[in-house]
Amino acid sequence: MSEAIRIVEKQSIPSKAIMLHGLPDVGLVGLIATSYIISELDLAEIAHVDTDLMPPIIVLHEGLPHAPLRIFGNNRLVAVISEVAIPANSVHAIMRALIDWGLSKNVKMVLSVGGLPIENRQDLKEPKVFGAASNKELIGLLQEQGLEILREGYMVGPQALTMRYCAEKEIPAIAFLAQSYYNYPDPEAAAAAIREVAKITGFKIDVTQLLQRGEEIRLRARDIMKRTQKELTQMKKSQEYDVPYVS
Amino acid sequence: MSARRRKDFFELMRDYFKDWETLADELLESMIMERPSWDLESCCLEPLCSVFVSVDEVVVTADLPNIDPKTIEVKAISANMIEIKAGMKRKIRFHDFGITHREGEFTSFRCQVHIPVPVDMKKMKILFKRGILEVRIPRKKGYRIKVK
Repeated sequence: MSEAIRIVEKQSIPSKAIMLHGLPDVGLVGLIATSYIISELDLAEIAHVDTDLMPPIIVLHEGLPHAPLRIFGNNRLVAVISEVAIPANSVHAIMRALIDWGLSKNVKMVLSVGGLPIENRQDLKEPKVFGAASNKELIGLLQEQGLEILREGYMVGPQALTMRYCAEKEIPAIAFLAQSYYNYPDPEAAAAAIREVAKITGFKIDVTQLLQRGEEIRLRARDIMKRTQKELTQMKKSQEYDVPYVS
Repeated sequence: MSARRRKDFFELMRDYFKDWETLADELLESMIMERPSWDLESCCLEPLCSVFVSVDEVVVTADLPNIDPKTIEVKAISANMIEIKAGMKRKIRFHDFGITHREGEFTSFRCQVHIPVPVDMKKMKILFKRGILEVRIPRKKGYRIKVK
């Protein structure tokens, strides 16, 4: 793990858990989904990321300081969220450190949740979720679950690096991408993604509350969405619209 | 250890321009004072907005949660600026977000959006669907040059 990034553990970390990434990205789908899963499964804060590569920010909750990039968990799941946008020029190092840490904890699989921006999002009642995986067996598993595979195209940002580093280290990894708004918080897309995560993991997560609180979430998430959008522009996120040349 | 490959001229130029681009962005950001997404005086929150320019039109969208659709107002305030206003269904206070060190409440959304190309404001069309406001304004047509 890089010296510039330290993962500070507050308690012993379970081995063979599933690692879930929900970092700020398009529509904040991953962050909204993972925060909701953390709250529904009542996961405790087990670690945080200490690095100079993030802005000099702490988040106060109930008057106490917290690192913005934190890891929550129980015996079966460790979930990573960030309450601030990941700076574009730090995303490589941070994702590499998180995957290395996951590997050192023998995680059995890494799941990442994100959005797939589409133009006519407001015309869709039920956003569709696509999947990508780090190996052929997992693609087969996703197809068995009825998930459509993202066959060709570019992925940009934290989810892309999760897939790349997991494939390199031979950690099984799945990316769930729900059709979403590009730069508006999208709780409905997050709910659709959670349903797919639940199918693969077997976790029971009821998304009713998430959908009921949709307007409140959209109000609260405006500022982080705005800052995330700036970082996504720097990461050249719009390249996801491009058609790859080599197939 | 593998020997590091020396960068060719084009790679060096690309890095050079990238550094300048980053520097220019940082300079621009440092010159513009960041402001909050709310205004206590007018009790307004600033909505998230996007502007998309296509060949025929400019599409402005805004995320407007918790609003009463009947209160939406969109008007052209100049040839290249529109103003969006919408009243909320219920007041939002800082306390609702768990923030107790600030006082204030918000009753509406309001923003002014710059339109980057010439448009025909009189033909503006407005649609509000699933919490998203969509304003479509046709672009002004130029003149046609005959192809020989």
